[in-house]
Amino acid sequence: MKDLNRKPKENFLQRIPESLDSFCVNCILVFILTIFLVGIFIFITMASGIGPGGNLIFDAKFSIAGTFVNLINNIPYLPFIAILIPLIGGPIEAYIGRKSETLRDSTVVNSTFVTFLIILAMYPQVAEGSIDYFIPGVFGVGLYFTVDMLGFIMAMTAGILWLMVTIYTRDYMKIERHRNRFSLWMAVTFGGILGTIFAGDILTMFLFFEMMTLTSYMLVAHNQSKESMLAGNNYIYMGVAGGLSILLGIILLYVYTGTLQFVPLAAELNEAGWIKYVITLFFVLGFGVKAGMLPLHIWLPKAHPVAPTPASALLSGILIKVGAFGLLRIITSFFVPDISSLGELDPTLWSVSENLGAVIIWVGIATMTVGVFMALQQSHMKKMLAYHSISQMGYIVMGIGVAAYLGDYGAMGFTGSVYHIVNHALFKGLLFMVAGLVYLRTKEQDMYKLGGLWRKMPFTALVCLIAALGITGMPGFNGFASKSMLHHAIIEAYEYGHSSFRYAEVMFTIVSAGTVCSFIKLFGYVFLGKLPEKYEKIDGDNGMMDMAMAGLAILIVAIGQAPNYFLNAFLIPAARQFVYDPYFINNYLVDMNFFNYADISIMFWIYLFGFGIFFIGSRYHLFHLTMPDWMDVETTLYRPIYNLVYKNAIKITDRYEMTIIKEDVIIYTVILTVALIILTRII
Amino acid sequence: MDFFEMIIDRINYFGAATLFVIGLYTVLTHPNLLKKVIGLNIMETAVFLFMVSVGYVSGGNAPILGTVKEPITASYVNPLPTAMILTGIVVAVSITAYALSLIIKIYEVYGTVELDEILEMRGE
Amino acid sequence: MAYLQFPLFILFILLLGAVITPLLMKRFNKKGQYFIISILMVSLSLSGYLLFQVMTQGSYMYNVGNWSPTIGIQFSIDEFSTMMVFFILLMTTLVVIYSLRDIEHEILPMQIPVYYSLIFLLLVGMVGITFTNDLFNTYVFMEILAMTSCAIISIKRKKANFMAAFKYLMLNTLASISFLFGVTLLYMATGYLNITEMSKQMVVAWELYPTNILLALGFMAAGLGIKAAVFPLHTWLPDAHSSAPTPSSALLSGLVVKVYIFVTMKVLFRLVGTSIIIGNLGIHNYIAYFAAVGMIMGSVFAIGQKDIKRMLAYSSVAQLGYIFLGIGMATTQGLSVSLFHVVSHGLMKSALFLSAGAVIYKTEKRKISDLSGIGYEMPLTMIVFSIAALGMIGIPGMSGFMSKWYLALAVLESGQPLYLIVILLSSFLNAVYYLPIIVAAFLKPREDGSEEMTRDGIPRTMTMPMVIIAGLIILVGIFPQIIMNIIERAVPTFL
Repeated sequence: MKDLNRKPKENFLQRIPESLDSFCVNCILVFILTIFLVGIFIFITMASGIGPGGNLIFDAKFSIAGTFVNLINNIPYLPFIAILIPLIGGPIEAYIGRKSETLRDSTVVNSTFVTFLIILAMYPQVAEGSIDYFIPGVFGVGLYFTVDMLGFIMAMTAGILWLMVTIYTRDYMKIERHRNRFSLWMAVTFGGILGTIFAGDILTMFLFFEMMTLTSYMLVAHNQSKESMLAGNNYIYMGVAGGLSILLGIILLYVYTGTLQFVPLAAELNEAGWIKYVITLFFVLGFGVKAGMLPLHIWLPKAHPVAPTPASALLSGILIKVGAFGLLRIITSFFVPDISSLGELDPTLWSVSENLGAVIIWVGIATMTVGVFMALQQSHMKKMLAYHSISQMGYIVMGIGVAAYLGDYGAMGFTGSVYHIVNHALFKGLLFMVAGLVYLRTKEQDMYKLGGLWRKMPFTALVCLIAALGITGMPGFNGFASKSMLHHAIIEAYEYGHSSFRYAEVMFTIVSAGTVCSFIKLFGYVFLGKLPEKYEKIDGDNGMMDMAMAGLAILIVAIGQAPNYFLNAFLIPAARQFVYDPYFINNYLVDMNFFNYADISIMFWIYLFGFGIFFIGSRYHLFHLTMPDWMDVETTLYRPIYNLVYKNAIKITDRYEMTIIKEDVIIYTVILTVALIILTRII
Repeated sequence: MDFFEMIIDRINYFGAATLFVIGLYTVLTHPNLLKKVIGLNIMETAVFLFMVSVGYVSGGNAPILGTVKEPITASYVNPLPTAMILTGIVVAVSITAYALSLIIKIYEVYGTVELDEILEMRGE
Repeated sequence: MAYLQFPLFILFILLLGAVITPLLMKRFNKKGQYFIISILMVSLSLSGYLLFQVMTQGSYMYNVGNWSPTIGIQFSIDEFSTMMVFFILLMTTLVVIYSLRDIEHEILPMQIPVYYSLIFLLLVGMVGITFTNDLFNTYVFMEILAMTSCAIISIKRKKANFMAAFKYLMLNTLASISFLFGVTLLYMATGYLNITEMSKQMVVAWELYPTNILLALGFMAAGLGIKAAVFPLHTWLPDAHSSAPTPSSALLSGLVVKVYIFVTMKVLFRLVGTSIIIGNLGIHNYIAYFAAVGMIMGSVFAIGQKDIKRMLAYSSVAQLGYIFLGIGMATTQGLSVSLFHVVSHGLMKSALFLSAGAVIYKTEKRKISDLSGIGYEMPLTMIVFSIAALGMIGIPGMSGFMSKWYLALAVLESGQPLYLIVILLSSFLNAVYYLPIIVAAFLKPREDGSEEMTRDGIPRTMTMPMVIIAGLIILVGIFPQIIMNIIERAVPTFL
C-alpha cells in the first residue's frame, strides 16, 4: 500500500516551458478584456462626475448600455453571487486540477475575472446609494449584505489584485507542491474577503472574517516547512484570539445596544458607561491583529515571507487591509452620532471617537516607525517587504485615527487612508511579485547577494522601479497622492485638535524618508551593480508574470497621473455616505490640487533625507543591527504565553489526572457531605 | 430522655443513615474490589430499608384483601414502596452479579483484586 | 390518533430488537444486520411521525396501561422529549450503520450479536428516561442504562476495559443509590412519584418538610453529578469513553450523558420548581460555578492527553460544562442554549469519535503525535474530523458557534459577564488542542514522507454516517432555527 504512494520527487529547478499554451491565450484574452472593460468603466465613472445620479447621462447616450445598466440595477443579490463564485469555484478548481493543471489555472483566472466583472457591475447601484441584500434564517439572525462606496472600492481593489495574482500564480507555483490545494484555499479566501467587505452587519462580517483567517492559514503554511508551520501557528493563534476578541465586542455591543447593523450608535453607547471603552478595545484589538498594529504585528513578518509569493502578495495587498477596513467600518458607524441629529449635536457624543482616534493615531505612528526601522535592518527581500507592509499599515491606521479623532471633520483622514489602502495594495502586490520572480530565477532571497539583475530581467527592473517610486511617494506615481493626503490629515489633526500631533507629523516625515532609503537599498542591491557570476545563465522575464506585473504597474502610473479622478469618482462619494461635514469635503477634497509647491517640495526633502540615510547607513553598517532577544516579541510574549498554557496544562495533567481518578469515591463523599451541609444550613 | 425518645421515634431514619455511612465508608476505605461491592450492597440496603419504612403506617395491616368473612377495614400500610423496593432489589442483585463477574475477569487479567495494586500496574 | 401509543411502541420495538437480535444473528449470520437496521428505521420513523404530530397537535401525557398517574407510570410526550428521542434514534441508527463493519475490528465475532442486543437495551434506557414522567421509573431506566453501558465497555476484552467498566459500574451504582435516596425523601414529603403530581405538592411540602427536600436535592445533585459527569465527579468518564469500542464511545459521549442532563433539568425545574431552586436556594449559582470550573479544567486535561480518544473524552467534560452553564443561568435563554448544545455537542462529538475510530480502524494509530499526514491518507475522514473540531472551537458555520453565541448572549442577559471570559478562555483552550491535530493531519508529511492524496480506504458504511453527521453539523450551524424553534416551545415547560 505504501509503495503505491511513492512517486519520484519533482525537480524543482526544472525550466519553465515558455510556449504559448491555452492558459496563456486565455490570460491574454482576459487581460485585454480587463483593460478594455476597465477603460469603459473609467469612462463611465468619469462621466458620472461627483455625486450620485450623475451616471444617468450615460443611458441617454448608449441605449444598449443603458438597458444593461437598468438590468444590473435591478439585481440586489450581486454581492451574494460575487461571494459565491469563488466559494463554489474553489472546490471545482481543486477537482479539475486532479485532471489537468492548465485547465485548472484557466478556470482560476476566469472565475476571478467573472467575479471582478460582477464587482464592477455593482457600480450603478452603488453610485445611487447602496445595495442591500438580506438572507433570513441563516445563523438565527440572517445574513445581511450591504455594498456602499467604501465596500465597492475595497472589492474593486481586491478584484483587480486577485485577477493579476491569479495570472501570475501559474508560473510561480511550478516550484511549489500541492497546487490544487493552493488554488482551493486561495479561492475560498477570496470569497471570505469579499464577504467581509460586503457584510452589512457586524456578525456577517465576523463570520466571513473568521473564514478568511482560517483559509488564509492554509496559504501561510502552504509549503509545510518548519518555518512556515511556526509562522502559521503564530498566525492562526493570534487570528483565533483576535476573532474571539471581536466576537466578545460583538456580544457586548449586541447586549448593550440591541443591534448588529452598521448604524450610528454613539448615543446608545454613551449610555453604556465604561463598557463602551471595553467594546472599543475588543474591536480595535481584534481588527488590529489582522491590520498588523504595533504590539499585535508579530505574526506578519513571519507569515508573509514564508508564504508562497502569490499568497504573500495577496496577504500584504488585501488581507491585512481587511483589518483596516474593519476599523474603518466601526469608526464610521458605531462611534458616530446619528446623522439626522447632527444639527443639535451633543459634543460629548464624539468623545469615544475622539479618544479612540487619539490612541489610534499614536499607535499608527509607532507602527510605521517600528516597521520602517525593522525593514531597514532586513536583508531578506520578502521580509523587508513584510516590514514595509507593517509600516504602510501604520500610515493607514494613522489616517483612520485622524478620521476618528476629528469626528465630522475627519474626511481627509478617511479618504487618505482609503486611498492609501488602494495604492498600497497595488504597489505592495507588485513588489512581492517582483521579489517572487527574482526568487524564481535565482533561488536567492538575500538582496545583498544579488545584483545587476536589470540586464537579465529589464522589464522586472522597470516595474520594480515603478512600484518603488509609488511606495516612496514620487509625484506622478500613486503613492504621492495618498501620502500627501495623509500628510494633510495629520496636519489637520494638530490644527483642529491637540498640538502634540505636531510631533506625529515629524515622525511621519522621517518614516517617509526611511521608506525612500530602504527602497533605494532594494532596487540598488538587486537590480543595479555587478551581476554575480552564477546568475549569468538564468532565464529572464516571464511572459505571463510580466503581464500580471504590467497590469498593476499601469494602474500605479495611471492613478499617479490622474489622482483626482479616483478621488472624485470614488473616494468622495464614499466619504459623503458617512457623517463627514459636506462643507469640509467640498472645500478641501473636491478637485484637490495635488501637485502644489508645498507637497512636492516636502517630497523633495524626504527623498533627499532618504538618500542621506542610505549613505550614512551603508557607510557605518547601520543596516545590520541585530535586535537583542528581549526586543523580539515572540520570545517575550508569544512563547511565554504558549508555554504557560501548554506546559502547565501538561504539568497539571501529569500531576493531578491520576490523582483525581484514584480519589473518585472521596470526591463523591466530599461533594455529597458539603452539599448536604450547605443545603441544611440554608434553612 | 427527650433525646432518646426522638431517636427511638425515628430509629428507621437513623438506621438507614448509619447503614449508608457504613457502606460508603467501606467503599471509600477498602482497596479490595470485593469489599467495595459489599459496601455498595450495604448502601443499597440502607436505601431500601428507608424506603420500606417510609411506607409504614402505624397500626396498619398488611395490604392484603381479607377474606369475605372478615374484610379488612382498618388502615393498611402503603404497598407502593414495597413493590418498588422489589424492583430495586432485583436491580441491586443484577448489579452485584455483574460486578462480581467483572471482578473475576479483573482477577484473571491483573492477578489481583486490590485497587491500589491494579492502579500501580496501569501506571507503569 | 394512533400516534398516541407510539412512545410505548417504540420502547417495545427496541426491547423486541434486544431480545431477538442474538437469535436472528445466530440464524442468519451477517444478514441479521439488515434486520437490525430495519428495526432502528421503524422506530426512527415512528418517532419522527410522533415528533411531527407533537409539533402540530401539541404535547400530551401518556398513561402506561391506563393506570392513574398517581400509581402507574406516566410518559410526558412534549416537544423536547420527542425531539430528543428522534435525535437519539437518528444518531444511533447512523452509529449502528457505522459499526456494522467497524465492530468486527474491535470485538470477538461471537460477541457481535450481544453487542447489538446491548445497543438496543441502551436505547431502551435512553428513550425510557427521556419519556418518563415518573421518578422511580427514571431510576429503573437509569439502572438499565448504566448496566448496558458498562456491558458495552467491558465487551471489548482488554485489560483496561474491565477496570474502566468496574469503575463506571461502581460510581454509577453510587450515583443511582444517591438518586434513589433522593427519590425516597421526596416521596416521603409529597406522597407521589409522578413528577407533575409532586410539583403540585411541592409548595406545601416545602413549608412542612424543608429538610426532606433539601436532603433529597443534595443526594440527587451528587448522584446526577456523577451520571452527567460534572467536573470533579467526571472521573469515570475518560477511562470509560476512551476504552469502549469506538462507535459506542460516540453513543456514550454524544447521547448517554445528555440523557442525564435532561433528568437533571426535569428534577430541578419541573419537579422542585424555580421558586425553590432559584428563589430560596440559589442552587443554579453553584451549578454555574461547577460548570465554569469544568469548562476550563476539562480543556486543560484534554491538552495534556496523548491518546486521541481520551482527549475527546476530556473534551466532553469541558463541553458538558457549557451545557451546565446554560442550566446555571436558569433563564429562558440559558435553558434553550443548554438544550441546543445537547444536540449540537451530540452531533460534533459523535463525528469526532467516529472519525477517530475510522483512523484507528485503518491505521491502528491512537496517539495524537502519530497523526501527522493522516489527512493525505484519509482525506474524507479528516475533513469530517476538522468540521467537528472547528465546531468545537466555535468557528462560524458549525453548530458549535451557534451554541457559544447563544450561551454568551444568555450569560450577559442574566448579568454575569465574568462567565463570558470563561467561555472565551475555554474556546481558546479548545483551539489549543484541536488545531494542532488538524494542522498535523493536513500539513505535515506522512511517516513514509509521501504526500499523495489517497482514498480513505474504509468501508462505505463507515464513511456515509460520518458524512451525514458532518452535514448535519453544518446544517444546524447555518440554520440553528431548525432546532431552536422546537426548543423555544419546550423551554416554557421547564420554567
